[in-house]
This record gives sequence, C-alpha cells and structure tokens, in this order.
Amino acid sequence: MTKKAYRGLFVCAVLGALLVRTVRLDLRPMHHDEANQALKFGDLLERGEYRYDPNDHHGPSLYYLTLPVARVLAGRSLAATNETMLRLVPALFGTGLLLLLLLFAGGLSAEARVSAAFLAAVSPVLTYYSRFYIQEILLVFFLAGLIAAGWKYLQTRSGWWAAAAGFAAGMMYATKETSVILFGALGAAAVIDRLLRPKTGSARPLSRTAVLLHLVIFLAAAFVPAWLLFTSFLKNPNGLADSVRAFGTYIHRAGEPGIHTQPWWYYIRTLVYVRFGHGPVWSEAFVVALAIAGSIFAFGSEPGKDGHPRLIRFLFFFTILSGAAYALIPYKTPWNVLPFYFGLVVLAGNGAGMLWRTSRFLVVKVLILAVMLPGLLNLVRQESRANFTDYANPTNPYVYAQTSPDFLKLVGAVEGIAAAHPEHERMLIKVVAPPDETWPLPWYLRRFTRVGYWTDIAQAGDLRDAPVVIVAAAFSEEAGRTLDGDYQSAFYGLRPEVVLSLYARQDLWDEYVRGRVAETPARPAR
Amino acid sequence: MKRALCSISIALVGLAMLLPAAGTGAQDQDKEILKIQLPKPMFVGTPKNIRTANLEPITGKPRGPFLVPAGTVLLSAGKPVTASDKEPVIGELSFVTDGKKSGEDGYYVELGPGLQWAQVDIGKSSPLAAIVVWHYHSQARVYRDVVVQVSDDKDFIAGVTTLYNNDHDNTSGLGIGKDKEYIETYEGKLVDAKGIKARYVRLYSAGNTSNDMNHYVEVEVYGLPAK
Repeated sequence: MTKKAYRGLFVCAVLGALLVRTVRLDLRPMHHDEANQALKFGDLLERGEYRYDPNDHHGPSLYYLTLPVARVLAGRSLAATNETMLRLVPALFGTGLLLLLLLFAGGLSAEARVSAAFLAAVSPVLTYYSRFYIQEILLVFFLAGLIAAGWKYLQTRSGWWAAAAGFAAGMMYATKETSVILFGALGAAAVIDRLLRPKTGSARPLSRTAVLLHLVIFLAAAFVPAWLLFTSFLKNPNGLADSVRAFGTYIHRAGEPGIHTQPWWYYIRTLVYVRFGHGPVWSEAFVVALAIAGSIFAFGSEPGKDGHPRLIRFLFFFTILSGAAYALIPYKTPWNVLPFYFGLVVLAGNGAGMLWRTSRFLVVKVLILAVMLPGLLNLVRQESRANFTDYANPTNPYVYAQTSPDFLKLVGAVEGIAAAHPEHERMLIKVVAPPDETWPLPWYLRRFTRVGYWTDIAQAGDLRDAPVVIVAAAFSEEAGRTLDGDYQSAFYGLRPEVVLSLYARQDLWDEYVRGRVAETPARPAR
Repeated sequence: MKRALCSISIALVGLAMLLPAAGTGAQDQDKEILKIQLPKPMFVGTPKNIRTANLEPITGKPRGPFLVPAGTVLLSAGKPVTASDKEPVIGELSFVTDGKKSGEDGYYVELGPGLQWAQVDIGKSSPLAAIVVWHYHSQARVYRDVVVQVSDDKDFIAGVTTLYNNDHDNTSGLGIGKDKEYIETYEGKLVDAKGIKARYVRLYSAGNTSNDMNHYVEVEVYGLPAK
C-alpha cells in the first residue's frame, strides 16, 4: 500500500468514525446509568464539588474530562447541558481510539492499521458505547494508549514513552478501578511474551539503572493523574485510598452479581450470534473470524513488512486472558466486552491486512476485497441499526436496561403541564418510586427547582400539594385513591417491564392537552 | 446541634436582610416563603435488564367476579377477525379468537405502528355481556388510546356504540375518553358490554409504553346467543 493510499484511507476511517459517533447523539433516551453519571457531573460543574464514591460511579476521569466540554458549550449550569454535550466526550474518545492505532506502526502493517481503523469505525459495539455517557470507552481509549505507548517504548526505549504509558495507566485507573483486571491481563501477557521469545522487539538493550529510572518514570506518571483525580485535586485526601478500599465492594459485587449474573459464554454469544424473539440477527462474527486469522500470524513469522509478531502475540494473549477474566466473573453487562474487544479488533485488522498482503496480483486482491467487503458492509448495517433505529430496542444485544422512548412522552407531558402552571419550572413535583425506577427522571427534571424524591408514598406527605405526581406502578393504586377525581392519570413506560404513572392536576392537564391539540396539524379524514 | 445552630444563624441573617423591606405591605411583613428541603434522588447501580417476564397484577389482587345474565356464552371462539393492518408483522389474525391466551411468543398477532384496529365478527347480532381483551401480558406495559366499540355495521359508520375509551386527549380522533389506562396482566381487560346488541366488536389501540406496535393475544366476546 502506498503512503498516499494509507493516509487517505486512514483519514476516511477516522472521519467516518467521527460521523457515526457524533450524529444525533440526542436520539437515545438517557440510560439510568448515564443519568446517574450526569447528575454526579452536575455537582462538579455547578459547585466544583466532586467526591469519589467507593460504592458506585467508578472513577473521576469522566467528570473531569467532561468539564471543559460542558464549560465551553453550556457554562456552569447542568440545566444548560444536554445529552449531546455529555455524550460528545465518549464520542471523541471513541474516535481518538482510531488515532492511537497509528502508534502501532512497526508492529502492524499499514494495511493492518487501516483495516483495524475501519473495523473500529463501524463496529456496532464500539460505536454504540461511544455514544453512551459512561466510563467504558474512556477505559478502552486509555488501555489502547497504554499498549501503544508500551509498544513505542519497546521500540525506542525513550523515557517519554515510559511516561506516556504511565499516564495512560494512571488514567485507566482513574476511569475505572476495575482496570486492575486489565493490568493483570497485560502483565500476564507480557510474562508469556517474555517466556516465549525473550530477546526480540527491543530497539537497544538498556542498563539496569536506565530500566529502573524508566520504571520510576512510568510509576510516577501513573500515580500523579490517579492521585490528583481521586483526591479531587487534593480536596479529598482520602480519595485514592478509598479507590483501593472500593476493591472490596467490586469483588463482592462480582462474586454476588444478583440481577447481572450471566453464563461464562455471554460475551462470546453477544459478539458472535444473538437473536431475541422475532428480532434481527446480530453478529460481529466477521471481526472474530478475522481476529483468529490475525492471531495465527502471532506464531512462527518474523518481523518484516507484515508487522512484528511480538506485538500481535502480546495482543493475542492479552485478549485471551482479559476475555477469560471477564468471562469468569459472574457479573456481566454488555459494555464490559469492550476492553478485550479492542484486542479483537486490532487482531482482526491484522488478519485483514495479512489477507490483503498474501498476493501481489491485483486479481487476487480484488477477490479478497470481494470476500471481505460484505462483512464490512454487514457491520455498517448493524451499526446503523444499533445507533439510529434500534437504539432502545431490547432485541439489540447492546441495549441493556435502556430507558424506553415512551419515557420521553412523560417528560414532554411534565414540561407541557409546567408551561401551563403559573410557576412554570418552580412547580412542585413529587416523585415516589424505588431508586431503580427513579432514574433517569432526575436528569430530565434537572431544570425544575422543586422536585422531591421519595421511595415510600407514606413519607411523601399530602400528594395533593403537588400539581404533578409521578409514582411507580406499585404505588399507582394508592396514589389514585388520593388523587382520583381532580387529577388525570396516564401511564408511561420507563423500561421494559417498568411503568411509571403520572398524575397531573386536571385543570393543568386540560390546558396542556388543549395546547397540544392546537399545535397538532389536523388529521386527514379517515 | 452545630448544624441546627448554623441553620438558625443563617435564618436570622436572612431575616435581618429582609427588615429594610418591612412596612411595604402590612399583610406580608410577618410572612416569608417557606423553604422546604426536598429529598434528593437516591443513587443506585445499573438496574435489571428484562427481556421477558410473566406479569402478575401490579396490585396483586385478582379481579373480582363480574355478573352476567344467565345463559351467557362465549360468542367469539374461532370467529373471523379482520384488522386495519391486513398483513400483521407477527402472527395471524386468527390468533385473536383461537382460545389460546399464553403470553409467550407465538400466541399473539402484531399489528403495525400507530393507531390500528382489530375486529371480531361474531356472526349474528347478539346481546353482549362482556368483552375481554388480552393485548400482551408477558410484560408490564400499557396500550395507548384503547377504544372498544360495537356495531351491527361492519364498517363502523352507523350505529356505533363506544363501550370503553381511554384516549384522554383524542389522539385517535374517536372522541375524548374518560376511562382509565391500565397495565396489561394475564387477567386481560374486561369491558362491560351492558347488554348492547351488536354483531361486530372493534378494538383500537395506538402503540404501547414499550413500543409503537399493537398486539392481540386474544379477544373474547361474551353474550347471549342470538335468537
């Protein structure tokens, strides 16, 4: 491949990735977890307050990295932010992931890097969670940064690359404490690599002192960002220690996953073949098959134009080990597939690159392209479906406890009723629901200044104080006994199987409906 | 204690600041806005991901007995069904009156998105006692704008009686309904037919809280056989 073709194709892949990650970020209703993260970020944005929570929410990097984006686009008010602004952060990191592939030069052929970039650009799972305001894609970005910087360090033995690798490792930890699983897999892969072929891949041997110095640089570069972020820039001195204490929480959660228990093969099935009910087939088997082909190269070949087998071998063992670690943990959610999926996608890129380079003859290359193109197009089709049509459809394997689009009708009704209320956004709203049936309401009601949340109807006082009452379905009958007659009730779906009940004072409801009818164009006669 | 003292101090400072404004309104001078600290939402981890479940009634209470005239029988079993969606997305229209009420896949017919209707022809105009409809009961969901009408006119142009209507904002264009929305359960929704004589039963809906589609597991029409 010529340099010009390489650059052109790589730019196309990056631009394509940016496009599918940033277009219509407002489309999918905020997930329970996204809303949790957004409200946590709101404290940092509005009051400069962040305190690491060892029980939930993971690390602080997401919030601090969102801060500049939100400040530029929305100032200091969470109410002025929106879904697009927040999701822009993972979207940009998800795109940046492709740029890190450039650092694998020398380890991967140009064809492999371009192929990996295209696969990452259109991968359904990578694109879906690049549009999701949670930590996962940031973790993958810093993981890729650590591997890439580590590879560059092996080639150059430069202290700067040791520092870059350390920084990436520190940011991984500051993103998710559970990154220790990945550190374990990276360490084990390095040991296996060392045992298999101990004297290849290094640019020049270093003295023991230089190695120690670089190790210190690496550790210092890792420690500083993690320390600063976990301690909220020294405002919470115990933050870093709390992050270590959090291991207890996460080990307990992993061992007793409860509602998130899945069999060991859950991630394999999610990637290879999924079909729920009458829904469509979802499969990234194409990526898996190419990754297997790419892994074969990890053994037996020599460094050359096809890349360096040491990097491929390392990625192979890392992918297998991290995949096995995640498979053995009973607690599973679909976004946890991402860290080892990154390994898969690079190996798949290597597989595609290897196939491309098998022959110099144009006819053979055209045939190979003809075989691979449908696989890539199938990924594009699935990516489009995952992000732009089935983004909340439970038959999509990446949709997990997703807020139903119907929920936005509830939000629309509350906003419409507030418009009819003389106090508008100061209108009192009472929400009575268990915590897992409350979110993402706090995000959507963030502009309202008088919203109270209770988990028990008895504690919420007189419901008739509030012109708008939102209750979990379990409380609907009880609320109805108090409110029926003077309030209009309506049900809205929060998630599959979870329904919320809205009670709105009848006069406000009627005015809201009148306004809606006035806005709606006349229905053609049927 | 410290916090209480602090709150009192802040309140006193606040009152002192308001003093210069005193005297402007005799009625308001002894009053201030009551500031109520409302409880914040509780954080909780990722909720359960549910794809299917068997739904029990939300209240946990079964429906009470419904009295009908002696001699009332099921009139709709195996009777022909038509619908606004001629080509259902999933299943067959015959599922609506086949007597099978399981909530599992393979027992329901799915009509297209938006406002749709399904219609049962019981063969002869008969005094109807009750209509029971199961839209989809393997998941807690609410069907929107449910309207149940009966008529002797298969096109529902003349002699239409509306027995149930929970379209409270008239989005279906069939008039504003005052009946309440309900969550689907295995018991189905019983609509009192009040003895009205009709041959055709038409049921409207406009999507549900989980998606925009319309589903029917079963519709049962009870009444006295036509003489």
